Amino acid sequence: MYLKKLALAGAVSLLGTTAFAACSYENDVPLKSLTAGFEAWKAVTDAMAECGNFQAELDQEFRTKQPAAFEANPSLYHIGGVSNGTVTPLLNAGTIRPLDDLVAKYGQDLSPNQLIRVDGKIMAVAMMVNTQHLMYRSDILADLGIDTPTTWDEVFAAADKIKEAGVVDHAIGATMKSGWNLAQEFVNMYPGFGGAFFNADNTAAVNSDAGMKALETMKKTLDYTDPEVLVSDSTYVQQQFQQGKIAMANLWASRAGAMNDENESQVVGKVSMAAAPIAMDGGAPATTLWWDGIVIATNITDEEADAAFRLAMEGLDSEMVTANNEAAIWLVNGYQPGPLAEGAVATATANPAPPAYPSTTQMGLLHTALGNELPAFLTGDRDGAATLAAVEEAYTTSAKEAGVLK
Amino acid sequence: MKFKTFFWFVAPSVFMMLLFIAAPLISVLIQSFQITQPVMQQIEVETCTPGFLTQTCTTEVKTVPVIDEATGRAQTTTEWVGFQSYRNVLQMDKVWSALGSGNWGKILQIDFWKALRFTLMFTLVTLPLVVGVGLMIALAVNNAAKALRGPVIFISLLPFIITPVIGSLSIYWLFVGDGILTATLERWLDRDIAMFGQAWTIELLMYFYRVWHVAPFAFVIFYAGLQTVNMDTLESAIIDGANRFERLRYVIVPHLMPLIIFIALIHLMDCYRVFDEIIGFRSQAHVISLQWLTFDFLTPDDAGNRAISRAAASAMLTMVGIVILLILPLRRTWRDHKGGAH
Amino acid sequence: MSKATAQPLSLKLASGAFLAFWCLIAAFPIAWIAVMSVKSPRDAFDASAWNVITGPATRAAGNGLSFLDIALGLVVLYFAIRWAFTRLPGLVEQYSPAGFIVLGWLVGAAVYGLLFVLIFFGALPVVFGVLNSIAGPLGTPILGLTTEHYVAVWGENEFYRNFINSMIVTAGVVTVSLTVGTLAGYGLARSGSNLAFWLLIIALVFRALPHSVLVAGYLPWFINSAEILRPILGDLSPTLYGQPWAIIAVLVAINQPFTIWMLRSFFQNIPSELDEAARVDGCSHFQAFRRVIMPVMWPGVITTGLFSFLLGYNDFLVTALLLDAQNQTMVPAIAGYFNRETTTTDQVEAVAAAVSITAPLFLLVMVFQRQIVSGLTAGAVKG
Repeated sequence: MYLKKLALAGAVSLLGTTAFAACSYENDVPLKSLTAGFEAWKAVTDAMAECGNFQAELDQEFRTKQPAAFEANPSLYHIGGVSNGTVTPLLNAGTIRPLDDLVAKYGQDLSPNQLIRVDGKIMAVAMMVNTQHLMYRSDILADLGIDTPTTWDEVFAAADKIKEAGVVDHAIGATMKSGWNLAQEFVNMYPGFGGAFFNADNTAAVNSDAGMKALETMKKTLDYTDPEVLVSDSTYVQQQFQQGKIAMANLWASRAGAMNDENESQVVGKVSMAAAPIAMDGGAPATTLWWDGIVIATNITDEEADAAFRLAMEGLDSEMVTANNEAAIWLVNGYQPGPLAEGAVATATANPAPPAYPSTTQMGLLHTALGNELPAFLTGDRDGAATLAAVEEAYTTSAKEAGVLK
Repeated sequence: MKFKTFFWFVAPSVFMMLLFIAAPLISVLIQSFQITQPVMQQIEVETCTPGFLTQTCTTEVKTVPVIDEATGRAQTTTEWVGFQSYRNVLQMDKVWSALGSGNWGKILQIDFWKALRFTLMFTLVTLPLVVGVGLMIALAVNNAAKALRGPVIFISLLPFIITPVIGSLSIYWLFVGDGILTATLERWLDRDIAMFGQAWTIELLMYFYRVWHVAPFAFVIFYAGLQTVNMDTLESAIIDGANRFERLRYVIVPHLMPLIIFIALIHLMDCYRVFDEIIGFRSQAHVISLQWLTFDFLTPDDAGNRAISRAAASAMLTMVGIVILLILPLRRTWRDHKGGAH
Repeated sequence: MSKATAQPLSLKLASGAFLAFWCLIAAFPIAWIAVMSVKSPRDAFDASAWNVITGPATRAAGNGLSFLDIALGLVVLYFAIRWAFTRLPGLVEQYSPAGFIVLGWLVGAAVYGLLFVLIFFGALPVVFGVLNSIAGPLGTPILGLTTEHYVAVWGENEFYRNFINSMIVTAGVVTVSLTVGTLAGYGLARSGSNLAFWLLIIALVFRALPHSVLVAGYLPWFINSAEILRPILGDLSPTLYGQPWAIIAVLVAINQPFTIWMLRSFFQNIPSELDEAARVDGCSHFQAFRRVIMPVMWPGVITTGLFSFLLGYNDFLVTALLLDAQNQTMVPAIAGYFNRETTTTDQVEAVAAAVSITAPLFLLVMVFQRQIVSGLTAGAVKG
């Protein structure tokens, strides 16, 4: 029984490699890439590997390694995978090269929307967008006669009804693992209340009315979430959804596909996507827009850069997208937005639109400060005003150390 | 042994330690008194990012480092700042004001002191537990039938040999959310339990994990020690009418004393740099440790910033702490050395 | 044992009960992840313990064991384990060349492990397939069980590469660590000078250092080493980042303090009259070491080597940061399944990988269990 299966699996994977080995040319320059490790990157790097002579490193430590590895001369990697958060150190250090010539040479299939321009120069090519938006159990909401919530107030009202009905363990799930995830929740909520992160002189501006409101909304969520929410990251929330333990969550669009995975999910077909809820009247959805894309190192020869970009274009072609349509909200031509993408599209096209996550040095520092100081507020050790003051103080200390503030 | 011979025996080992431990340590010491930062400039930049279907372009003033034309790298300045980084880590002004106002709990809201509190408590709570549990298992195994000993020793060693990352995850899964042990407890006590919802339960689990992980090490060492207990002494104690407990107290424990000190020493060092548990049990929101604090300073954020100076300062403070903790047990080693027979 | 040391029944019972309780606690988490690793993702993370054990979703997907399978499987398992404890030691002693008993055991254990895997995952399923089809109700699956995660991990994800890398790193760490450490341990044990003492104390302080500090310090040097070394070594200068041998050097250095402490106290228990006698016969210190000490030092070296093995095999911090994907060892590879962007399937595959990497540790302890205790008894731990 098992043997047969083993043989079958082997045969299928063999078939798979031959079927997909449809690279239009043979790559003869040895190339390496360093990217994050999620599904979309697996798809893209697999497509690049078909052309040969290519080693992909999908690494959970890429954030730590990338700036240093690209600064080495010659750079340890030719192709890098970045998001609008992680492109900052590479841009700042000048270790990624302008791509205008290469785009002119190989980028016929790219849409203008994909080209990330800094001061008019193309510095990166985006392949997908990601955002946190509302996922909800459409069956439960329909049973209880609740309309799809569009604001956080409606989310809480719906949560009250769900809690009363007692159909799930927890009405709301949230990616509030202390550190990066928790800070990201604040970064979503705060602009939703119209807050600006920084003053003109780079000092932090979160200790404001909007900041207090954002904190209050986050704390209110805790009434409906699992008490262990401070350890739950997006994989955990995704699992809670799959096991039917929660009814609503503001979760990453890249997680939508997992809801309909028959092997993992007990709620196949029951989860729908909608735009991220808005926090105040006339405001943008309380979330931020992210893109992921590729960059090419500066410290490599022009021939290598040429080969690397050509290879990357092969990885980002419509053939790859057609094969992996549900893995992400692709920006590449050929992508067919399915029902799972509805929420992300609605979020990105909302008016006013949510802001893109800012690619600045200051934002990185503030993100860390938020991640470290917010838990004390949510556990009740510290009140809101004191927490925001502590965030600003932590930011000031590290910003002075980083040379951003005098 | 002549110095020259001695030198050649230890040279390879010392060289490796100098290169890979002492050299980084010295650079850490220097960094803790320095701040290196890029030279920043403010420029107006237009950035275009994708929306869905159309792009949005924004023009804003950004603070970015100045790139040196000659080397192609960011210009940096390095400045000696004395104890500035230590002050940033310790935040003594807040400590004094908290002490002054009598509001002592506030001290524990400062990261360093919060981490120190947990690290010390973790070390001191688990130490007697590890020694005690290890000794109990050793005595029980020594007491068991010969045929059983092999398998029992094997099972007992499992928690110690298993990869720590995996060990802590295996326990985390048993308790997180409706993990099966939490679910069982809930059914038994008929109430909702969230083991990772509050600080004290997480701390308890961390103590449990550490004892589970290290007690086998103590056990196997004590068990080895028990094999060399002097039977004559034991028998003369019986003749003197010592009961079971007295024999344990006056014969076996003194015999094992060097081993207990050995275990204590190793355990102090390993516990003081507790780290795996914080990551494994994701306890950052509630409890943090000194090594985690250093690690957190060193972990770059999305924009690539890391607080190297503060990390260096906190690492040096951790080291001072461990040296203080080690002085007590090491006094004996010093006495042995002075009166040494070698 | 004289009558006075005989124990009352109550004490025996209490001691036995405590031991049973401890064994349960010690083995349960590990046994549990082993159970999780053979279930479909839905079952593995189910809230009900019963569902995790029986695996209804796994069974529904057509993967399961019948009553017959379980009964037969247990019988085979029993004999396999019994054989390992009764016949295997004899075979190993018979076939391994004199003086290489340790090597013989390693080979024996590896062959045994391989046979075990072949029988359980190759031969038995075929036999079961035939038996189940003729056994009627006894042949219908009652227990959900699937090896798909193991197949995925070792096949599709090419985990064997990580396994090989781990073996290279671990073997390197153990060999270098022991070679360097025995020399230093012997030197330190036979020198009563203050310098020796302070070396030991400094080594102890080194051992107490938080590793994250050291490791983060290495990264820029490792990545830029080609550029830094170019003035000295020219074009031969290597990039240390991603090189297994550089990792071996780092792990050996980190492990040196513990190794030299262990070995020093072990050598101290070898009477110094032994090598002094050899010295009187005209041997140099090195010759005395080689001729007199080396033959009697193995129990201590094996015990210390085992600790080096655990360090090299289990390390996460150093290997995760300083190795690239091509040379990644097993532990960071598994941790890679748990990063921010994983799925439940990834997690169960990680569990399967985690169980797989525990297996060599099992074998190792089985083989060396007696040596650990006797090595420690012989005095490697006199403080």
